[in-house]
Amino acid sequence: MTASMPTQPAFEDLVDTYSGEIFGYLWRLLGGRPDAEDCLQEAFLRALRAYPRTPRLRNPRAWLYRIATNTARSHLARGARHLARTADLDARLASPASWVADAFDHRQRLEAVAAAVEALPPRQRAALVMRKYQELDYPAIAEALGCTEAAARANVYQALKKLRHRLDPVAKTERMA
Amino acid sequence: MTSRQTLDPSVAAWLGDSPGPASEDPLTSALDRLYASGPSAGEVERARNRVRKALSGAQPAVVYYDAVGRTRVGPVFVAVSDRGVIAVEFAASEAAFVRNLRARTGATPVRSRQQAGEASRQLREYLNGKRTRFALPLDLRRMSDFQRSVLLAAARIPRGQVTTYAQLARRIGRPGAARAVGQALGHNPIPIILPCHRVLASDGSLGGYTARDGVRTKARLLRLEGAQLLAE
Repeated sequence: MTASMPTQPAFEDLVDTYSGEIFGYLWRLLGGRPDAEDCLQEAFLRALRAYPRTPRLRNPRAWLYRIATNTARSHLARGARHLARTADLDARLASPASWVADAFDHRQRLEAVAAAVEALPPRQRAALVMRKYQELDYPAIAEALGCTEAAARANVYQALKKLRHRLDPVAKTERMA
Repeated sequence: MTSRQTLDPSVAAWLGDSPGPASEDPLTSALDRLYASGPSAGEVERARNRVRKALSGAQPAVVYYDAVGRTRVGPVFVAVSDRGVIAVEFAASEAAFVRNLRARTGATPVRSRQQAGEASRQLREYLNGKRTRFALPLDLRRMSDFQRSVLLAAARIPRGQVTTYAQLARRIGRPGAARAVGQALGHNPIPIILPCHRVLASDGSLGGYTARDGVRTKARLLRLEGAQLLAE
């Protein structure tokens, strides 16, 4: 049967090449390990099922991002563990600030930012994470989100605008303190 | 083209959209603090291994199939892998079934009464009302953990009884996931044997069914099992 097979990389190669990166993406999108691990497994199983029906993959990386984004969305829709975030925040703040009060303010601000990111519309959150922390270019983000390049860019910008708007009161309190 | 949105140059630089000094305001530095480092190498390795393990068990090379024949719900086909029943389908033709089977499993379909005959016999008996339960191994490797838990919970609904998407969601410990449960049931690769047809909408209506003839097939299966249907 191999003779008639198109020259597509073995699915296992995609796992080796991209699973770490996609895990990082889901980890950032879902705010922690248990959900990200569940989602990663589900995303690659979905990808495996779709793979035989996708003979000419031009950009497997963007294709996997697309599947991961959709998997994360249904995962969130199904009301997954939301407590992951705060527990995880402790792990992320492991390096302590030198002064306790400083650390407290700092922590509060990070919690506010994390909550604001979680409150973003899913596409905007995904677009921002892909651009800044996964370092995808706009054509790839567009492919992952199934939209135009301009819309991908708009999603990233809107996310930042919304975060700034939402966190403005926080910033103001800080200036007053 | 949509209107070009503008961004503070230092924020654009922070994003990597333009050269120049990157922003270091409270928002961007908080975002970096939260998201820049990502999971540890150990966490990545662990997650990757979980995927590899799930996938290594997910790929049979050959699947065997047989025609159940014309039944009261139309032509039905069944396929088995080395582990057990992997697909049941209400397909219009053998060619269509083989095409779907190849696409869904990535394996080579081979018609074999010897391998798949037992499964097709049990299905035939069931659909003729001469059998009330199945005694067949199932191959659930290609399912996600969530879909597997949903379908196995559906399999615990006794013949002749029904439940709702919401109740099933609660039963698997995911209250509020009724929609996702409906989706998982809608993608059931082994209908009839895994009785997704016994799960209805909360208002007592039949909900959905993705097989041929949709909810009419669902209603026929339920009637065959002696379930009392209020609405159709």
